[in-house]
Amino acid sequence: MAVFQAALLNEIEKLYRKKKVLVAILLSLAVIVIGQLVIVGVRSGFGLRGTGSVEFPMLVLSVVVNTILPLFTALVTIDSFSGEFSQNSMRITLTRPISRFKIYTAKITSIVLFILGALLLLLVFSMLAGFIFNANSASFDSLGRTVFSYLVSILPMTVLALGIVLLANIFRSGIAVFFISILIFLAFKVLGLLFSQYSSLFLTTQLDWYNLFLVNSFPLAKIARQFLIMLGSGIMLFSAGFYIFDKKEF
Amino acid sequence: MKFKKKTATLVSFTVGTLLLATTALADITSKSGYEELKDSIKLTAEQTSEKYDSFTLDFSMALKDNGKTIMNNNEIGKFDRKKSASESISTGLSLNGDKSSSQSYSDKTTVIHTSAGDQTYYITEYTKERKEEIFSNPFKEEEAEDLEKIADALVGSLKDHVVVAENSDGSKTLTGSLTEVQIPSLINAVASFQLKQEFNGNGNQGSSMPHLTKDVFVKEVTGSAKVNPDGVMESILGTAILSGKDEQGTVHEISIEALIKVKDINSTEVSKPNLEGKKVIKNVAKDYSDSEISNPEKFIGKFKNDIVIEKDGKFVKVGERTLDITKMDNKNVAGRYSETFKQGFENYASDFSELTFAAQIEKDQRGNADFESTTKSGEKVRGNIYFSEYDGKVNFNIHNMNSPYAGGLMFDASFSPDLD
Repeated sequence: MAVFQAALLNEIEKLYRKKKVLVAILLSLAVIVIGQLVIVGVRSGFGLRGTGSVEFPMLVLSVVVNTILPLFTALVTIDSFSGEFSQNSMRITLTRPISRFKIYTAKITSIVLFILGALLLLLVFSMLAGFIFNANSASFDSLGRTVFSYLVSILPMTVLALGIVLLANIFRSGIAVFFISILIFLAFKVLGLLFSQYSSLFLTTQLDWYNLFLVNSFPLAKIARQFLIMLGSGIMLFSAGFYIFDKKEF
Repeated sequence: MKFKKKTATLVSFTVGTLLLATTALADITSKSGYEELKDSIKLTAEQTSEKYDSFTLDFSMALKDNGKTIMNNNEIGKFDRKKSASESISTGLSLNGDKSSSQSYSDKTTVIHTSAGDQTYYITEYTKERKEEIFSNPFKEEEAEDLEKIADALVGSLKDHVVVAENSDGSKTLTGSLTEVQIPSLINAVASFQLKQEFNGNGNQGSSMPHLTKDVFVKEVTGSAKVNPDGVMESILGTAILSGKDEQGTVHEISIEALIKVKDINSTEVSKPNLEGKKVIKNVAKDYSDSEISNPEKFIGKFKNDIVIEKDGKFVKVGERTLDITKMDNKNVAGRYSETFKQGFENYASDFSELTFAAQIEKDQRGNADFESTTKSGEKVRGNIYFSEYDGKVNFNIHNMNSPYAGGLMFDASFSPDLD
């Protein structure tokens, strides 16, 4: 365990030193600021309320979870794998007395922590903006649902990251992985719209699964199914990615 | 050790894949409440338009401002598919506070209409039997399938908000409710903007509708439907609440409620109103869709209009134009055109003031004909004549006479029959 902790700390340190994380934070804040400006504009221009204090974080989540969050998850993931493959720093990591499985897990854990951090940051700032600039519409129930929606979004994002990890282990070039990820992401989005009946097969649909927690009746069966789909694909992608990572020669 | 790791990886991969496959399959086959709602609406439309002999459709809606009704409307439609007859009774309160009610009956050969303000029964009789479907299935339209796909995409994640409850007798109750957090912001903004424009639109000035200017948003949308054991919808109720402030800053909650019921399936009776002792105005419907005028001889005779000029800031009649149709059937038309000027205005007369013409009616163009003629001085004249059965007038145009006409004469192309 101590070995794993060290590896994880090492990975987080590497992640933290990257400029990408800073850019991700700045962009997230920019989304909140721009979103709030649009809402204020709509309010004074069209006489609409736009959003209330609780709806604003939900608006931010719905935008971010389909745009900049997957984008930066992809960048960070590619950096952590493809980047190290090409810089040959992976060799240095592997020379340490630690199993490949632990390195692999530590890398993924650090990516998950990045996603969690980004979500929490967005939650805190969008809530702040929501309460300062919008008419209060919060109730204990809706507040709880909002926080919960942010937290459950980590699951589909993790599955997405695992998918990109697999791609990063298959293809050597980071740029190739990035573009293939984006293409698959867009293709899944379109397919999910066209074949809405089969949409749960396409992993991008689950990015919006937080909506299920907003439903009054709490559709437990549907939530369980979606959770199992994500769990299944998560395990599948994790093991496939590890299989290749384990076989790789550096 | 090496072998163990490989096995573990393979096993976990297989387990993950199986888990994904089975749950995805279960998810695809499971029918969401939204799908059930859609199926039931489709089935209802199909049954009412193709299977049931008769049924009653009861539609009512109300608009309330902070709980006070400002508008309502109720419409009961009785349909008898066998007799191709339908009856509708509608009552309502308009935004201006006017109460209204009207009643109408229609079958293959008659349409009867009456309203509360005017107790006269207006009857239109059709000489030919009309072939009209009294109730057509909207899902049979060509674009229905595409529209359904678009609707599915728009509804998106809101699909899961429809809850189905099965009752012991086999019927089902579908309910759904959305509050402001659950309605996606974009949909809320677009919908509230639409509604705001609609409510504040022209024609609503001076009505009891509050004028919302600020902080407009859709607060809540709820709906419920009852589906009978056959899968046909018996009733569907929808409510939407729009909240906003008027110029004084008063908060208004405007609720829109609509309820549709399908009842008395196969036991609805459509009856013709009893006209005995009632004031009745009868009228035989003309079929204007034919390619020929039914009795063209009625156009033989004189048609007239006035020639006017503007003089000292007033209109002054300086003469008359006369069109004398001497021959008219659905193939040929012939006649004379002349201008007669009053005393003192004789010098307005021109070469065009006296013309005779004959023309052939264009095929399939109800009373429309182009003609050619020559003036006294031998100049060729082209023109067009059109017999309008709808308003009992003749349109007569000479193309060579360019407007504005010489000398400030004002000509009217439309001639009225000279019946005196």
